[in-house]
Amino acid sequence: MPHLSVNPSSKPNCSTVWLISVLLGLLAVHTNANDVLTVPQQVSLSTNMDSQQLSISWLAGAATTFDLMILRTELNESVFYETVSVMVSQLSGRHEWNWTSVEPLQCTSLSIKVRSREGQSTSEWSNTEILQGSDLPSEEEWQMFPLDRVVPVGANTTFCCIVKEGEQFGTINYGNTVMNTTRLSRRSYATTVVNQGLSGPSGTNVICYNSFKELKIGAVVFVGYPPLLSDFVCETHDLTSAVCLWNERNTNLYKKTRGTRYTLNNRTFTLSWSLNPKKECRVDHWEGNWTLVAVNPLGQYSLTDSAELSHRVTPVAPENLTSVAHATNATVLWQWKYDGYSSLALVCQVELTSQGYKTNHTFSGVDLRAVVLPDLYPYEDYSVQVRCGAQQNFWKWGSWSETMSFKSSSIVPEAPDMWVWMNKDYTGQVIWKPLTRRQSRGLMTGYEVTLWSPGESLQHTDILPPDTFAVPVNLTQMATASSDNMVMATVTAKNTEGVSLPASVLIPLRLTDADPRAVSQAVYTDSGFSLFWQSDVNTTCAYVVEWHNASCKWNCPVDWIKVAPGNTNVSIESANFQPGVRYNFSLYSSSSEAPELLQRWQGYMQELVPSSPVLSLLTTQEDSDILLTWGHIPLVSRRGFLLGYNIYISSGSQLTLLANLSDPGSRSYTVKGLSEGSYKFTVKAYTSAGEDTGATASIMLEPFTDWLILEILASLGVTALFLVIVTFLCYKKRKWVKKAFYPDIPEPKLPGDWSRSQAPLDVKPPHHSLVHMVERPEWDSSKEALVVIPEEDEDEDGQGIGDELVDTDEPTSLRYYNQVVDERPIRPRYPDSSDSSASSLDSARTDVTYTGIQTSGSSFVFQLDPQGSSEGHQPQADPSFCAGGGGGYRPQMQSRVPSDDTGPASPNPFPESQAASGYKPQSSWQMDSPVDDGEGRSRASSLGSPTSIASTQFLLPDGEDHTEDKRQPSSSAATTWLTNLLSSTKP
Amino acid sequence: MAARRTRGMTGPDVSRSTVARAASIAEQLRYECSILLELYREKESFTADVLVDGRLVSVTPPSSQLDTRDKLWRLHSALMQCRSLLERAITREEEELGGGKKGDYETQRKMVKDRLSYLLICTGELLKTAGGAALLTPSLEGLESDGPTALFELKLWVYRIFKEVDYWTKTAITTLEALPSVIAKERVRTSRVRTTRSTRR
Repeated sequence: MPHLSVNPSSKPNCSTVWLISVLLGLLAVHTNANDVLTVPQQVSLSTNMDSQQLSISWLAGAATTFDLMILRTELNESVFYETVSVMVSQLSGRHEWNWTSVEPLQCTSLSIKVRSREGQSTSEWSNTEILQGSDLPSEEEWQMFPLDRVVPVGANTTFCCIVKEGEQFGTINYGNTVMNTTRLSRRSYATTVVNQGLSGPSGTNVICYNSFKELKIGAVVFVGYPPLLSDFVCETHDLTSAVCLWNERNTNLYKKTRGTRYTLNNRTFTLSWSLNPKKECRVDHWEGNWTLVAVNPLGQYSLTDSAELSHRVTPVAPENLTSVAHATNATVLWQWKYDGYSSLALVCQVELTSQGYKTNHTFSGVDLRAVVLPDLYPYEDYSVQVRCGAQQNFWKWGSWSETMSFKSSSIVPEAPDMWVWMNKDYTGQVIWKPLTRRQSRGLMTGYEVTLWSPGESLQHTDILPPDTFAVPVNLTQMATASSDNMVMATVTAKNTEGVSLPASVLIPLRLTDADPRAVSQAVYTDSGFSLFWQSDVNTTCAYVVEWHNASCKWNCPVDWIKVAPGNTNVSIESANFQPGVRYNFSLYSSSSEAPELLQRWQGYMQELVPSSPVLSLLTTQEDSDILLTWGHIPLVSRRGFLLGYNIYISSGSQLTLLANLSDPGSRSYTVKGLSEGSYKFTVKAYTSAGEDTGATASIMLEPFTDWLILEILASLGVTALFLVIVTFLCYKKRKWVKKAFYPDIPEPKLPGDWSRSQAPLDVKPPHHSLVHMVERPEWDSSKEALVVIPEEDEDEDGQGIGDELVDTDEPTSLRYYNQVVDERPIRPRYPDSSDSSASSLDSARTDVTYTGIQTSGSSFVFQLDPQGSSEGHQPQADPSFCAGGGGGYRPQMQSRVPSDDTGPASPNPFPESQAASGYKPQSSWQMDSPVDDGEGRSRASSLGSPTSIASTQFLLPDGEDHTEDKRQPSSSAATTWLTNLLSSTKP
Repeated sequence: MAARRTRGMTGPDVSRSTVARAASIAEQLRYECSILLELYREKESFTADVLVDGRLVSVTPPSSQLDTRDKLWRLHSALMQCRSLLERAITREEEELGGGKKGDYETQRKMVKDRLSYLLICTGELLKTAGGAALLTPSLEGLESDGPTALFELKLWVYRIFKEVDYWTKTAITTLEALPSVIAKERVRTSRVRTTRSTRR
């Protein structure tokens, strides 16, 4: 039926006439075509359910263009409607066209019809042919399509589920995934899985559930790959047959229905499934050309190979390996599986394994069945395996044979590597290195150590078990018994085969303590301690480098290495080296004579910080400085070369660096400039690795008393010097002074017969009191001094008039003020220069003051005599002081406290000769004087002596200085003068 | 002591220890079956509610009228059918669905098969002890020959067999646990008969 379509949306404004003309034209053409085109007849259908292909054929004459329409019958939905060009098949004379359905053809019934087309003209549709689906009412059970499908990875597959009559469709699951579905018919539902991934070995289930989520039907789909082969080669092992090898990727498809099937040169064979991708096929005869084809449900793949047999020989593994072993070589024999190898030139590889190390030996030859392995170690376990290849046109190595083991024979051992360690005396030890298994060359039975003196035929031999590697020696007896200077130490090793060659070392019997060689530092690198020395052109012998722990001094566990002649360096490495341990290295010449020490080194594998601080850190105050001293760090604790010391002072928890002593030999350090106080010092030794934890010591810095004493002495000296100068000046100008301040006083008129040998003083006493002049026998009369002028109204008793001279000429100008105006007890004060002057200034009051003027003792003219005082205050004649035997002036006796109080208070009464003269009222002061006796007493008694306000005269004379006064009259005179001077100034 | 043990292992005591051993094996088999089912469901993406209609094993229906020997025979027969089915399932599975590396499922499947064989030995001994019924060969008739051809149907068939093994394992546990009391009663009954006969003599 022709189709005429008019687009209602086309423009209706065109000319109606034009439109009608076109329509009529088309109608005319169509009508003409119908007359020509043949309606397809005898439409027939054939199907391939696996490929879901529908083959449609029909008869339609010469027509070549057809419209095909395929509908789902039940729902009348168009599945396919296209115009196709189909030629007549020469075989069947029919038009044939194939259509592949997306859904399995069983899913639902399809209606197919065809019509011819010629341009726009078409014939009538053919009769509709229906392809029956499985959803017919007659097939009422659950069904699912396709079943057991194999698809490539990435394919899209549509599955349909036909619901059982009377039940309701639920879902379709692909594996665990619920799929979207499309309804194809009343009972048929379809889903399409796109881009399918690899399935499991048992495939992926597609399951149809009913509306109650009950599993009702399912199908399995296998997703995999088509075959893909590589590395296809054929070779021969037996020189007759061929073995073809190739690799195949895993197709993920297994078992006979889905797995890969192979054909080699059109001969089909199957291979058992294996995870190994390497596949192998054996052919009885060498064909030279091979074609391998691999086929599975998803496709096929083919490879070819061609080669001559001689170019593809891969020998089989040698069989039945045997050996004939000797001490240093062994013959390995084997057999071949195939006789054809007897004429085959082979190259064979023998892999020899001993103590984990493998060595390969290669041999070649025709009919190679035995080889000799040289350079074997005696008494050594070996394992060997062999493989071979064709010597000509080598293709590849054959398989390794089974491993065969053998043991080489044993022979006498090697001479042991020995050395001698001697202590400072004649004791020591002979040591040797354990023989390795290879050096033993057999089962060790022991060692033999011999000491012998070559010239004296003295010999001593020790037989030692095989696990002994040192023996102590004492050469004292040999040294005394032998006149030789040497003792030869010899060590031999013994095994079951015999005794080794001897190893020997000459031991000198002249032992010296001196160590003539300087010690250098050895540096440790990655390769060990690198030692260098100067080459000795005269030395053609070998060297021995010996080392041991430097802290060891006795029978040390020494190690050594022998260096070949001509070498001037060696790197010493040992598993026994430990960080922080000092090692001594010694280089000896190894000659026929005794070893000679050539050079010495010391070194650390790795320097560490000292493990202990310096010993005996002490702090001592020196003046105002602090001296730090410390002891050494024991060698074991140094753990590195000491580079110096750091001195810290700690303030709280913080250390402040005071000094860095870069001399490791330093043992002291003086800290200066510190003020008084407590200090804590830390001394840390350091190596290249750093400082130790440090030793700490504290000290309390005391004030420096010597300086104070010096200062006091200096000021006293200056004061004394000043007084001397003043005194001297006054002495020099005494006339002027006397004239200016103390004009001559007329001699007093004495009441008695007073006379003096030199110049009798005429004293005219006043009517109330007398002025007594004190005179010394040796004193120059011209230097007489007026001492005191008693107050007229205070001299009530009028006692004390004795031998003293009394000046009465100027009773009004010279007056004596009694000190005891105040009834208060007099307390002494210690001398003080400032006090002295102050007291002088305050002397207007009638206080008793103490002078602080430091003057010579000779200036004191009165002597304290408590004893005399207690005996009725009678003046005693002092032969050393007053030759005339006159007593001193004693006016103060009247106001003194009772003498009973003072007598016992004096701890050391003066002798009577002294007590007889002088003034004694201040005995009570003297009692409190801190000075006991002696010189200090005399001086101290002057210091702080109470003085009269009017006269400033020292009222307490110095007993001992009294004698001094005799020798220094000028000084005493000056003092007297000064006293008089001061007295005269008083109002 | 050895004599006492030998004496102790004769007669009804043998049955008792064999029953206990068989029950223990059945318990172990039940546990292993549950794991096998779980592995299979996981492998085939089956949900737990896969319905299995009907039984594959055909034996006489259970009845309270059955004596111990008949009960043992029924159990032994069912277990033998189970083992036969299981062997077929394994064979078909290997032929049609196997391949790749062997995993936990394959290991568990073999374990169940071996345990089932061991249980069969025990039930066979019990059956022999119970009345010399070892001569009776359980019938394997009625079993499907090789299972379905469609692979999904084959998978369901394998699953049904596993479920059947699981079912009969549980039945075995129930039956074996009930056996000691039965044996004790029968031993008492036998003793009475012997006592009666002795008295008559």
